[in-house]
Amino acid sequence: MTRRRADEAGTWVLAGAVALCLAAMLGLLGLLAGAGFAPLWPATISELHLHDGSTLLGEIVAVYDGAEALRISETDRIGGAYRRVPTADIAAQWQPADAIVLTLTDGRRLFGRGHAAEESTLLASASRPAEVLDIVRPNALGTFARFGVFARNLGRFFGTRPAASNLDGGVLPALIGTLTLVLVMSVIVMPLGIATAVYLHQRRGLGVRFVRGAINMLAGVPSIVYGVLGLGLFVHGLGADIDRWFYADRLPMPTFGSGGLLWAALTLALLTLPVVVVSVEEGLARIPVSLPEGSLALGATRDETLWHLLLPAARPALLTGLILAIARAAGAVAPLMLVGVVKLAPALPIDGSFPYLHPSRQFMHLGFVVYDAALASSDAIRGVSRAYACAALLVGVVIALNLSAILLRNRLRDRYRALET
Amino acid sequence: MLGNPATCESLLSPDFVRAAARSRLRRGRLRALLVNTGTAIALTGLLAIPLFLLGSLLPWTGFPATIWHRFDMLLAGTLRAAACAVLVAVPLGIATAMFTAHFCAPRLRAWIKPALEILEAVPTVVLGLIAAATLAPWLKTHVATVLALIVAVPAVLLAAGFAFGSRVRGEGWLPLWLLPLLIAGAAVGVAIAAHRPSAAIVPASPWNAMLVGLALGLAALPLVFSIAEDALFLVPRVQTQAAFALGATRWQALTSVLLPAAGSGLVAAALLGLSRCLGETMIVLMASGNTPIAGFDPLVGLRSISADLALGMPETAPTSEAYRSLLLAALALLVLTVLLGSIADFVRERLRRRLHADGHA
Repeated sequence: MTRRRADEAGTWVLAGAVALCLAAMLGLLGLLAGAGFAPLWPATISELHLHDGSTLLGEIVAVYDGAEALRISETDRIGGAYRRVPTADIAAQWQPADAIVLTLTDGRRLFGRGHAAEESTLLASASRPAEVLDIVRPNALGTFARFGVFARNLGRFFGTRPAASNLDGGVLPALIGTLTLVLVMSVIVMPLGIATAVYLHQRRGLGVRFVRGAINMLAGVPSIVYGVLGLGLFVHGLGADIDRWFYADRLPMPTFGSGGLLWAALTLALLTLPVVVVSVEEGLARIPVSLPEGSLALGATRDETLWHLLLPAARPALLTGLILAIARAAGAVAPLMLVGVVKLAPALPIDGSFPYLHPSRQFMHLGFVVYDAALASSDAIRGVSRAYACAALLVGVVIALNLSAILLRNRLRDRYRALET
Repeated sequence: MLGNPATCESLLSPDFVRAAARSRLRRGRLRALLVNTGTAIALTGLLAIPLFLLGSLLPWTGFPATIWHRFDMLLAGTLRAAACAVLVAVPLGIATAMFTAHFCAPRLRAWIKPALEILEAVPTVVLGLIAAATLAPWLKTHVATVLALIVAVPAVLLAAGFAFGSRVRGEGWLPLWLLPLLIAGAAVGVAIAAHRPSAAIVPASPWNAMLVGLALGLAALPLVFSIAEDALFLVPRVQTQAAFALGATRWQALTSVLLPAAGSGLVAAALLGLSRCLGETMIVLMASGNTPIAGFDPLVGLRSISADLALGMPETAPTSEAYRSLLLAALALLVLTVLLGSIADFVRERLRRRLHADGHA
């Protein structure tokens, strides 16, 4: 009996481990959703009356034990108006309904109280003038109006360029940079991956074993090592050569000899190649043998069977491979830090001027914005909340891609099960 | 004179047949050429990594002692971070795999696997952000709480299982019952600790190996889980069913049949988890403080090889000595991970062959 109870206790510990994993995942997603959207909601403005008779108007950004951090009107520069107020000094604290928030184009925010006429005096109080972007009375907003402000902020987050050295404004260039990079990478990796998978599927012998071994071994190599290759071989090697041959008139200003979109895409293509090969090969292997046998029996050559039957039948597997590769590439930031991602790019890698796609340009990337905003920004509090917003966006994209890959895989399985019966 | 269209005479003329066959052959050759070229390019690209690193280091003999000293520090940091992470990822991952493969209700299993796949897909820069911005300030005052929870949670679970285990039906759904209890328990523990901030253990730096271990462990957990689960699930059902027929409980079937049969697969999972932890960059870069400190103290900062590469490489001139030493570090990382990966592959392949043979016997 005791023996049996001890067994049950062991089972409970294992179940606890499963529960812990699930809790970690739910907690992670919950934290991201909460902290990611929080910066986009209109913040409540508080007025603090201190014991020494002075009042402070601003947004409470953090609560420590025994103190509160308050952001008051940034009349001078962004991130320059934080006050740490000990809780013992606060006599009263309330949220005035007539509080106004003026958001300026350079990201600064001014806080004030009063009627509409106050807005211009508030603007005049700024020691460095700027255009007004937005005027909100956050404490007086109803639920629907709050959603309206949220939607407006969301639109601005997606659709505008960053302001105030990436502390405010939108993430449009980073979003475009990420998408362009992934697109170029897909164009490079898909033909190579499909060719390799077909080779592995068709042939037997030493060559296959060699290729498979190389792919297996390099699939586990850390992404930063790929970045080292990209910098050492592509940027400093190939890029410098291209500059010497074709862009000699621009030297010593590097064209391809410094990190850029092309080199980053090539590096990521190598990084994601094993994913594509494994996925496509699995898709080819899963097609029931009766299909190619039927095709061969009707007189098609092996090659025609492959191109007109096997590859079209494996289309969902190709798509799965592509999606997984994109998801992996969108999350890989470390190699990009070596091959051309920058904090603020002067121009987009894709635009309306010939040749439309600029493979030598440096670019911005969502993942790098997360890293940079969290650790290297001049205003740590704004930086972290911005990093969370970008992280939520990145994770949303990556999870959507992965979920679609999982669904596709299941559909593929069902389809061939139907074929086999 | 036109031939009879119904018999397609013109299609049967020897010239046409020959021409068609020739063009089919030519097309086939062209496509085979395409496939071979593509494979060759892919292979060249992949092999370029080791060849490039070896090629640029081989002509350079004799590293100064300062480089070796620095390299030792970085290696120590990498190993310390990876050790902390493995302590989190391997027990948790393997325990989860054991439950999922052996005890779990099939419908719950169909949810747990995609859930952990999604956890695997979360970019590591996001985990690094959470560790550096949210977890680090909290952990600074709560190291003792975390250690207490690590001991208390399994102990409470053991006690609860001992007391109520035989009365609970349907253990396949146990994790879902435990999930709210676990969250509530952890919340209560954290709340108690928050009221009484203990100065029992104060880390030297808010960014330390323990913090890295927690975040990196979470990153490596899904990999360990999926490989261990594959290995356990590969054991033929007849073996466990035989154990049940001989009167074994589920737990006894696990410890006496499943674990001995799939043990090497679990070792492979641990090795691959370690390999993943050694090379991970963004988490270590963001949560470790990036100060090269040797030693084994999990509560001080560190700087790992991968973080050193990410920080140092873009700013170093490609002809300098520092650049070469960075290439050396990259080569060390490559060799370590390829070595661990090869051992794990070998173990898994042998396991698969053995279990396959058993299943047919």
